[in-house]
Amino acid sequence: MINRRFFLGSSLALSGTLAMPAVLRAQSGPIRLGTLTPLTGSGGAYGPVMASVVKRAAEEINKAGGVNGRELLILSEDDQTNPEAGLRAARKLIDVDKVAAIIGTWASSVTTAVAPVAWESGTFLTTVSGADSITLLPHRGFLVRTQPNTTLQGRKFGEFALESGAKNVTFLSPQTPFTDSQYAEITKVVTAAGGKTTKLVYDDKKTTLRTEVDSVLRGKPDAIIMGGYATDTAILVRDLYRASYRGKLIGFGYAVNKQLVEALPPDVSEGILTLSPSAAAGSNGYAHVARLAGMETPDTYSCQVYDQISLVAMALGLGRGDTGTVIRDNIRKVSQGGGERVDTAVDGLKLIAAGRKVDYDGASGPCDFTETGDVTDAKFRYEQVRGGKITLIKIA
Amino acid sequence: MEALLQTLVNGLVAGSLLAVPALGFSAIFAVLRFPNFAIGALATAGAYGAWLANVGLGAPIPVAVAIGFVVAGLAGVAVEFAALDRLGRAGHLMKAIGSLAVGMVLENVIRFAFGNDLKAFDLPLARDIVFGPVRIGPQQLASVGFALAAMAAFWAFLSLTSLGRSMRAVADNPNLARLKGVDPTVVALVTVFLGAGLCGVGGTLIGLDASLDPLTGGRILLSVFAAAVVGGLGSIPGAVVGAFLIGITEEMSSLALAPAYRLAVSFAVIFLVLSFRPAGLLGRAVR
Repeated sequence: MINRRFFLGSSLALSGTLAMPAVLRAQSGPIRLGTLTPLTGSGGAYGPVMASVVKRAAEEINKAGGVNGRELLILSEDDQTNPEAGLRAARKLIDVDKVAAIIGTWASSVTTAVAPVAWESGTFLTTVSGADSITLLPHRGFLVRTQPNTTLQGRKFGEFALESGAKNVTFLSPQTPFTDSQYAEITKVVTAAGGKTTKLVYDDKKTTLRTEVDSVLRGKPDAIIMGGYATDTAILVRDLYRASYRGKLIGFGYAVNKQLVEALPPDVSEGILTLSPSAAAGSNGYAHVARLAGMETPDTYSCQVYDQISLVAMALGLGRGDTGTVIRDNIRKVSQGGGERVDTAVDGLKLIAAGRKVDYDGASGPCDFTETGDVTDAKFRYEQVRGGKITLIKIA
Repeated sequence: MEALLQTLVNGLVAGSLLAVPALGFSAIFAVLRFPNFAIGALATAGAYGAWLANVGLGAPIPVAVAIGFVVAGLAGVAVEFAALDRLGRAGHLMKAIGSLAVGMVLENVIRFAFGNDLKAFDLPLARDIVFGPVRIGPQQLASVGFALAAMAAFWAFLSLTSLGRSMRAVADNPNLARLKGVDPTVVALVTVFLGAGLCGVGGTLIGLDASLDPLTGGRILLSVFAAAVVGGLGSIPGAVVGAFLIGITEEMSSLALAPAYRLAVSFAVIFLVLSFRPAGLLGRAVR
């Protein structure tokens, strides 16, 4: 959440800059960047930490002299995990705050709503959303994501279900921008191995999913892949338990998270398998984010937004500017293509100022992007709930 | 056939849980003549009160439900007299809009105090009991019991106490009631307390069945509204009938339609019912 002192401070700084003559404003004063994360709603468990990691990373950069001598000013908004609220907040960041980049949109539905206003206004958007459709938008290069797309995630889900011994797999999910692409990919993998799949889309606002569970269990699945977020997944898991379902349950790491496991009795959550894109645990960048976030094992989204602010800062440093276009034109020059390996923006900016080429490898992974803005490589974290605790099986 | 029977049972359970807040909503409408959209947040407030009593103080579930009733009732009275009453001078529409805003404020106060995380009551989760082709959870049976008890108590209050009779008098004809010496402020206060309290019970029962987060009450707001409208706004038995109708239709529809169309089905029911009976199933024509 935005604290009052920060809000006052940034408002003062903002009104100060607005009072300057226009020409001066373009050349000096802080470089404004926005975070748009879910401080409330289904993503509320992640958004606040994400926003604070970005803010702390910017403070570090500012302490080390800023970007080409200019401070970074971070303005935080809440997308409420809701496309309509997200779009309103994005408009405020773009039209009122005039940010060069928006960092951290989380839900795919929010990113899909926000992306067009970002690229139309020349604002750079960095996101942790996974839906395939996002990088297929005509974004003219104004978008990158650090999260592997859902085609890749769907394939991993299918393989994970097969690995756990399942042949009859059901996909139970609310309607999200990735429901269809994910199901298609799961089906491809499972049918190739001689299994079969079915799908049921439910309404995630329902307070009970008994009828949906009944209808799915009539097909006698031996694995159910859950595509929802934490709140509806909690209801689903409870209703599956009540219905005495004893097959495998596989969910997204962001849905079957610590909060969900704590909200369920241990025998209900026992054995649920989860899969999530993995941060580069063990890397310097990861340890750095752990310090910034004040937690031992920061989640992948905090790591991803740390990489995003770092890349944005270095791209601005290299392009010697303060606009989204500068970020677009330079981000791949600092993220990939060889050069000195760096894992913080502070180191990277120093090397850039000395005229050297850098290649950023961050807390979430190598951060190399395709033409369309997808990450080229990602690792996944496989976990299982055992005795009320989420236990790591493997990272692969 | 088996599926139909099971779905009917699920619908009856959903309907009974919906009926309690629908009753509260309709009672407030009957006496104060405006749709109080803060009931979603009030239901959440009651559920958090019950959760605190249960998890924090170790109160057993029936006591927690009662505390949920009192907390939501007091919150409802506070909201009415701190904000809505003033807005009422500008008309019922202003009051309805105000209640929507107050609901949002209340929801965010809850979020600020308790955070976004899911909360669960201190309650073991039991496997369903199977009766032939139909299965039902012990917790659901208990919840239906609580819902029926709350409705029965409310009905008894309305028909057996003088305060209850005054409430019905004001609902019937406020001017006549005033002439007969019924104090409208007292009646309004009692109505809001009981109506909001019933919403709190509804929120608590949903929290018991699923889990609790700041949006728990907000999620049922539209269905509650639908139930009250179908039954006839302001009609007490109508709210109960409407809740069962909406609950059963929403569940039944998922046999034929994709479950994502659940809300559309409720509104189709409203459309159909109001096309033939503009005042709702048991409502009276607006004078």
